[in-house]
Amino acid sequence: MLGFLSARHIGLDDPLRLKRVEITRRVLSLELNKDRDVEQIHGNGVNTLDIEAIEGRYMLSGGADGVIVIYDLENCSRKPQYTCKSVCTVGRSNRHVHQFSVETVQWYPHDTGMFTSSSFDKTLKVWDTETLLPAEVFHFEGNVYCHHMSPIARKHSLIAVGTKDPKVQLCDLKSGSRIHILQGHRGEVLSVKWSPRYEHILATASTDSRVRLWDVRKASGSLFTLDQHNDEKSKASSEAANTAHNGRVNGLCFTSDGLYLLTTGTDDRMRLWNSSTGENTLVNYGKVSNESRKGLKFTVSSGCSPEFVFVPCGGTIAMYALYTGELITMLRGHYNNVDCCEFHPDFQDLYSGGKDCNILAWVPTPRNPAIENEDEGSKKTGGQSSFNPAFQDAWSSSDEEG
Amino acid sequence: MLYISFSREPVFESKHWSLYTMNRKRSLISDTFKVKKRRLGTESCFGVQVNGKNSILQDVPLDTKGALQYLASLFPRKLFNDTLPPIVLKHQLYSIKQDRTLVDRQLNELKDQGEILMFQLGFDTDAFAVVFAQDYKVKALAAEAGRETLGTVQKFLETVLPSCMDLSFNKEKMLKKFLFRDQEITQLVKSGVLTVRDAGSWWLAIPNSGRFTKFFIQGRKAVLGMIKKSKYKEVLQTDLECRKMTSHVKLGIQYHIHDIIGAELVECVPTTSGILLRLTDT
Repeated sequence: MLGFLSARHIGLDDPLRLKRVEITRRVLSLELNKDRDVEQIHGNGVNTLDIEAIEGRYMLSGGADGVIVIYDLENCSRKPQYTCKSVCTVGRSNRHVHQFSVETVQWYPHDTGMFTSSSFDKTLKVWDTETLLPAEVFHFEGNVYCHHMSPIARKHSLIAVGTKDPKVQLCDLKSGSRIHILQGHRGEVLSVKWSPRYEHILATASTDSRVRLWDVRKASGSLFTLDQHNDEKSKASSEAANTAHNGRVNGLCFTSDGLYLLTTGTDDRMRLWNSSTGENTLVNYGKVSNESRKGLKFTVSSGCSPEFVFVPCGGTIAMYALYTGELITMLRGHYNNVDCCEFHPDFQDLYSGGKDCNILAWVPTPRNPAIENEDEGSKKTGGQSSFNPAFQDAWSSSDEEG
Repeated sequence: MLYISFSREPVFESKHWSLYTMNRKRSLISDTFKVKKRRLGTESCFGVQVNGKNSILQDVPLDTKGALQYLASLFPRKLFNDTLPPIVLKHQLYSIKQDRTLVDRQLNELKDQGEILMFQLGFDTDAFAVVFAQDYKVKALAAEAGRETLGTVQKFLETVLPSCMDLSFNKEKMLKKFLFRDQEITQLVKSGVLTVRDAGSWWLAIPNSGRFTKFFIQGRKAVLGMIKKSKYKEVLQTDLECRKMTSHVKLGIQYHIHDIIGAELVECVPTTSGILLRLTDT
């Protein structure tokens, strides 16, 4: 570590290198920490989490009972022991609360004055954060599985909504209209995501095993469909031709630079695609168990040198290296199925919510404070908890005592 | 080095209050922070210290081709009276080499060079069989010796296989590109080199491989059944190898062990007395 600092100081290394190395080290040492906790407000499972991108301070969570909670993640208490408190909630007593489970929540990408939530009560509500009243409500014919608003869009304020209907609907925040639809899928649309690189590119995943990429300015249909066999029609049976997965596709995530797209499906596979050509990069992650009947929300780290993807697998969160497919570790801590996870890029924290109504915060292990007379042999860098004499082995193995 | 078997750790133990066990957990270290002391055993690129006993083959560093040859040697030739070339399943390689993406890539390279052939076996969309091209040609021709279809099969093997690396063929390609007539295609299907996929397209197949598929499915079911019947649904690998096999397991226990590990039907848990195979929940 000191080597990197001095290299940056002299000018041998790019300053970005130290940042990347340190971020990677921190992400590799994620674990549950007794000092960090998130206040438990939800009485039912937590379906979705979102951390706002402007300050990284507030987190939205949506639960299976329709409740939406806003947490303050910042630690102003000057003590390491900190519980993230809820700032406000849209609880069951609120007149405008969702009737059924909230499936997706998202902050307005440009400031925290507004957020959107969609739910199984067939509505998408746009809320004002100050007053916690919905400024706009969009009604749909079927359950709304997911929605997403482009994080980088300047020229449009479209929200893409995936519902039980095979048509993907685009709702415009500026005018309140919903006439733009994207046709092409033949099954329910389980996940939609805008590209973080190009503001007009949208990816949608559906139960008909297909993932389509759209340019919303184009009138005539999707740009292309992701094909898991990369056009080698010979590898698959003819029904499986041109599909992204051999089952329902229920999770989508772009990498932070927007160059690659990850998809997960109920065939227990996760695939990495080149988002500009639609080519399957054939990275083999092994079996990523996936039994979710709705969308699966997973996340990719950002800022690390080899990127990592965090996928909820049953009751644990599996962490894979993005480009090699290697399973790094499984984060265990939830009592029941994990439904969503969200990565905080500034502090390299991972927040995950599940059916056990808990939101867990996975924090990089704090560094061991350097002890003066530490000998050479124990110079192991990376994640060591501080020595607590109560946990040290007190028995001696020497033969002299016997 | 401390070894903790997490076999039956109750889930709630790993919440905030179990930092004690967390202290002794091996930490993941990125490659750039090089650990100065070399420990015994292999390391993944993230520095997770893995004791050498963890992998099935710890001594021999095998590349994909070597691993293929090793697995081919496990295949029981005598059982089929030497009519079948040694068949290896692609996922068996994952049990020997941990890096799946690398294995896939090297397999594709070998396929493009024409050294191996891949086949879709039919019982599982993901299970591919790998056979050395040389062995395949020899056995396919030997099976046809004396029959009138020999000429067609020979022509097929010589013209189609070197140029086209696909797993399946459709009618258009056969008629136009390779100039096969309809009767010749029927002869190829009869001889077993092609299997019907759907109307107008065929999979490449291994002649007489029906018995292999039957024994394979039977054997896999039997081995998994043995693990399922044991208490806690787990069994030590050495224990499983020493057990008396029922008559259903005809392909050899080692072959099946590689298969179930590679297909992720069991998970390998390292313990102080060797590798434990535990049935996964699905």
